[in-house]
Amino acid sequence: MLTLTPSKKRTLFFVAMGWALLLIGDRIGELRQYQGSFVAMYALAIGSIILLTGYSGQLSLGHSALMAVGAYAGALSINNLHLHPVIALVIATFVAGLFGLLLGFGVARLSGPYLAGTTLALAVSLPTLANQFPILGGEQGVVFDVGLPPARFGENFSQYKWFFWISCLAVLVMLWLISNVVSSRYGRTFRAIRDNETAAALSGLNTGRLKVLAFSISSGMAGLAGGLLVMLISGVSPSAFPLSLSFSLLTGAVVTGVYSLKGVMLGGLVLVAIPEIADSLVTRIGGSEGFTATLPGFLVSALLILAVIFAPNGPGKLLHSFKKHG
Amino acid sequence: MIRNTRMKRFSVVSAVVALGAMVFTALPAQAAEPGLTSKEIKLGISTPLTGTAALSYGKVPGAMKAYFDFINANGGVYGRKIKLVVRDDKYLPTLAATQTTNLVLKDGVFALVAALGTATHSKAYAAASLATKKVPDLFVNTGFSGFGNRTKYPTTFTVLPSYAMEAKIISKFVKDKFPGQAVALVAQDDEFGVDGVNGFAAGSLSIASKTLYPQGYMNDARAKALVTGLSAIPGKPVVILFGTTDVTALIFKAAESLSLTSKFTWIAGSVGGDSNTLLALGVKPTTIDGVVAASFFPDAKNTTDQYVKEFTKINAKYNPGVSFDNIVLQGMNSAMLTVQSLRAAGKNLTRAGLIKAIEDKGSTFASAALVPLNYSATSHIGYNGYWMGQLNAKGELKPYGGTLSIVTTDSTTGPITPSTFKRPSMPKNGIPTNS
Amino acid sequence: MIKLITTILTALTTGAIYALMSTALVLVWRSTRIINFAQAGQAVLSTYVGYEITVRSGSFWVGVLAAMIFGALLGAVIDRFFMRPIFKRIKSGPILMIAPVVATLGLLGIIQSIIGFKWGLTYQSLAAPVSTDGYNLFNRVIAFSPFNLLVVVFATVSMLLLTLLFQKTNIGLALRASAHSPEIARLSGIKVDLTRTLGWALAGAAGGLAGMLYIPSSYLYPNAMDVLLVFGFVAAVIGGLESLFGAVAGAMILGFAISFSTSYISEKLFFPMAFILLIVVLLIKPAGIFSSKKSRRD
Repeated sequence: MLTLTPSKKRTLFFVAMGWALLLIGDRIGELRQYQGSFVAMYALAIGSIILLTGYSGQLSLGHSALMAVGAYAGALSINNLHLHPVIALVIATFVAGLFGLLLGFGVARLSGPYLAGTTLALAVSLPTLANQFPILGGEQGVVFDVGLPPARFGENFSQYKWFFWISCLAVLVMLWLISNVVSSRYGRTFRAIRDNETAAALSGLNTGRLKVLAFSISSGMAGLAGGLLVMLISGVSPSAFPLSLSFSLLTGAVVTGVYSLKGVMLGGLVLVAIPEIADSLVTRIGGSEGFTATLPGFLVSALLILAVIFAPNGPGKLLHSFKKHG
Repeated sequence: MIRNTRMKRFSVVSAVVALGAMVFTALPAQAAEPGLTSKEIKLGISTPLTGTAALSYGKVPGAMKAYFDFINANGGVYGRKIKLVVRDDKYLPTLAATQTTNLVLKDGVFALVAALGTATHSKAYAAASLATKKVPDLFVNTGFSGFGNRTKYPTTFTVLPSYAMEAKIISKFVKDKFPGQAVALVAQDDEFGVDGVNGFAAGSLSIASKTLYPQGYMNDARAKALVTGLSAIPGKPVVILFGTTDVTALIFKAAESLSLTSKFTWIAGSVGGDSNTLLALGVKPTTIDGVVAASFFPDAKNTTDQYVKEFTKINAKYNPGVSFDNIVLQGMNSAMLTVQSLRAAGKNLTRAGLIKAIEDKGSTFASAALVPLNYSATSHIGYNGYWMGQLNAKGELKPYGGTLSIVTTDSTTGPITPSTFKRPSMPKNGIPTNS
Repeated sequence: MIKLITTILTALTTGAIYALMSTALVLVWRSTRIINFAQAGQAVLSTYVGYEITVRSGSFWVGVLAAMIFGALLGAVIDRFFMRPIFKRIKSGPILMIAPVVATLGLLGIIQSIIGFKWGLTYQSLAAPVSTDGYNLFNRVIAFSPFNLLVVVFATVSMLLLTLLFQKTNIGLALRASAHSPEIARLSGIKVDLTRTLGWALAGAAGGLAGMLYIPSSYLYPNAMDVLLVFGFVAAVIGGLESLFGAVAGAMILGFAISFSTSYISEKLFFPMAFILLIVVLLIKPAGIFSSKKSRRD
C-alpha cells in the first residue's frame, strides 16, 4: 500500500468528497439540492463553533452576528462594488474574520460566561445596528443574488443545483483549509489552551493572542457560512440572523460532537432534517390548530434534550461506548 | 489506538452521510399543473404560527381555512375542493424561504396565498423561484410597496394598502383637521417605521418629535417616560402611533397612569389600532373613546355590514372558539378573493390563466373593503385607500365627523383624491358565483 | 427636571426586575456552573400558574405565592431529574460549557410549547393589585405609581431576605460552601446535591416573583420574558456572576445606563447599550465589577 502523509490523505479525502457530492448533485431533485445546500452551509457554521469551543475552549452565543457581518459584506460587494459572487464570498470570509479579530482583541481576556455574555449582547444589538446604516437596507435588507448558473451548463441546470455546487465547493475548500490548520502547530496549541490554559501559558504560549486568532478564524468561517445562507435565501436582513440561529449552531455542535470537525456534515443534516421530520410527523398526526402549530417546536426541543442526555460527546462516541459496553 | 478509534468513528460518520444522501435521492413527480386534480386545488400559505408575530397574525390561516371549508361544503370551485397547506415560518426570513420552497417543491401547491411580512416574503419569493416557476403569489399581507414591482415580482398580487399610502393619507388628514398643532410620531424602528416616516415626508407633514424604538424595547416604564416627554409639547399635540397593537396599548396605559390621555389627539395606524385587542389588553374604554384610526375595512364590530355579518356567521360555524376581529375579517376576505379568482380563471384552470383572470376581472371582485381593488394588466396592487374613523368607548370605529369619506392615493408622490367607489354587494350567503 | 426624575424612576423600576432575573441566574450559576436559559420559560410558566390562581382565587397575593411555590418546585424538579443526569455523563472539557446551554435551551423550547398547548398564543393581561395611577408630585403626575413602588419594595425585600439566608443561616453556609468548593463541602458533611437543588429552587421562586411583578405592566405570552432573560444575564455578567450583591448592582447599573442613554440620546441605544456596557466593564475588570479575581472560573 502506498504511504501517504496525513495531509495528503486529508486532501485526497476532500477531493473524493467533492466528487461524491458532484455525483449526488446530479441524481437528486431540486428540493434535495436546496436542502443539501443548507446542510453544507450549516456544516460550515457548526464547524466554526467547534473550532472555537472544541478546539480553543471559548463559548460564543452570538455567532449569528458574525454570520451577519459576512453576509452584509458579501451582499455589498455584489451590489455596490459589482464583484463576482465568488469574490464576494471570499470578502465575506475576510471581513468577518477581521471583525472577529477586532472583537477578539476587545474580549481576549474573557472566557466562559463572560465571552458568552458579550457575544449574546452583540447578537441582540444586531438589528438595531443594521438599521442605523441606510446602505444596509434596514429591515427589508439587501439583495444577495449570485445570478443564474452559467449558460454553458445547459438549460436544465437549475438554480438549486447551482446553489448546491457553490455551497458544497465553498464549504469543502474552507473545511480543508481549517482541517490543515487544526492539525498544524496552531491546532495543537489551541488544544493545549483548551485543556489547561495556565499550563499552556507557563510553557511559554501567548494564550491571549492564540485565543484571539482562534476567534478570528472561527468568525471567518461563520462569515462565509453567513454569505452562503443569504445566497440561499437570496437576500440579507437583520431578522435572518436571530438569536435562535446561534443557538441552533450550538445544538448542531453538540450533536456533531464538539471535539472533532469530522462530523459537521451530520450536524448540518440534523439541523435541516429534524424540523422537516417534525413537520411531516405533525401533518400525519393532525389535531387542533394550536396543537399542530406547537408540536414541531416541542419535538425539536425534545430531540435536542435527548441528544444532550444520551450523546453529549457526539454520536461517534456514543456508538463507540455501545461497542465497549455491550 | 487513538488513531484507530478515530478511524472507526470516521467510518461511522461517513456511513451516516452516505445514508443521508440515499434518503435524498427520491425525486418528486412533476405534473403539468402542480397541485391540481379534478377533485382538488392545493394552495399554500407560509405565515407565523408560533413566536411573537403569531400573537397578532396567527389567526389568518385559520380564518382562511374556515372560509375554504365553507366553500367546500357548498360545492367547492367548479366541483374542486380547496385544500390549504399551512407552514409555519415564525416570521423569520430563512424559514420563510425554506417553507415556501417546501410548499412549491414538496407539497406541490398550485398557488401561494396570503404570505405575511416583507423581509420574509421578499426572500421567499426569490428563493422559491416563484417568478421562473410562474407560481401565482396571491394577496400578500404586507404594507410594503415594493411588491407592486412587476419586473421583480411578476406573479405577486398585493392586497393591503401600503404603509406609505397610509402615512400620506394621515398626513393630509392631520393638516386639514388639526392645523397648527404639533405632531409627534412614535414608530417601530423597522420597515414599518421607515416606510411610514418616508410616507409622512411625502405627505409633507412636519413632525416635531420623532421616536423610533426597537422591537422589544417598550415596557410600562419606558412608555411612561415617552408620554411624559411628549407632554412637554404645548397645546394639544397630535400623536401618531405607528407600531403594533401591544405597544399602542402600553402607551395608552402609560397615558392613563399619568392622567394625560386627554392631553393629546391620538391617531393609531391600521396595524396597531385594533380596538378589540386594545380593550383585551386592559386599556380603559374612556381612553379609546375618541382615538382616530385609519382603516380600509368596515369595522369588524359593525354587524349591520353585510360582509361582516356573513363572515361572522361562517366564523362561528367553521372556526369555532375564535373570536371575530379585524384579522379574521382580513383572512376571510383574502380567502373570498381567492375563491373568486379561481372561479374567474374558469373550469380549465392554469397558473397563467389564474394570473390573467385577476388582471382582467380582479377589480370587480366582491370584497369587504370600502376602497377599490386596482388589479389590471398593468397593476398588481390591491387596495389603495383609507377612510379615517374615530373609536367610541365600545371600540366601534365610526367615520370621523359623522360622514364616511374615502380617499385613494399611491405609494409615491401621487395626489390624494376622494373616492367615488361603490363596493360590490356581498354575494348571496357569502358564496361567490362570478365567472 | 421632570425628565431627570422620570429617567431615574424608569431606571429603578426596570432595574428591579432585571435584578430579580439576574439573581435567579446567579443562584443557578453559583451552585451548578450553568447559565440557565430555561429561566425565562420557568418564570413565564410560573407566572401563568400564578395568573390562573389569581383569576380563580381573586387575590393577586395568593397568585404570587402560587407562582413562587410552583417556580421553586419546577426548579428543583429540573435540577433533580434533568440536569443531574446530564452531568453524570459529562465531567470535563469544553462540552461542559456548551452542553448545559443547549440543554437549557431545549428545556426553554419545551416549556414554551407546553404553554402554547395549554394557554394558546394570545396575550393575557394580569391586573395590578394596587393602583397604577402615578403619584402626584408638585402638582404633576409622575411616572411612578403605587404599583411601581410595590415592585421596587418587593424586589428589595426579597434581596434582603436572600442575603440574610446566605449570611446568617446554616443553609446559607451550606449553599456558599457548595458553590465555592463542592469537594471540601462534601467532605465536611454537607449534602452538596441537595444544596444544588435548593439553589435551583430558590432561583425558580425568584423567577416566579419576577414574572408576577413584571407581567402586570406588560402582557403574559410564551415569549414574554425572553428579552428580560438577555438583560438579566448581561446584568449578572457585569456583576461578576458570583455574588448576589453583584447581580443586583449589575442590574441597577444596566437599568440606569439604558434609561439615561435611551432618554437622553436615542431609543435605538436600547440593545447596543448592553453590549457597550459589557465591553467597557469587562475591559476594566474582566471578571465583572464585583468579583474577586480568584473566584473567576471558566
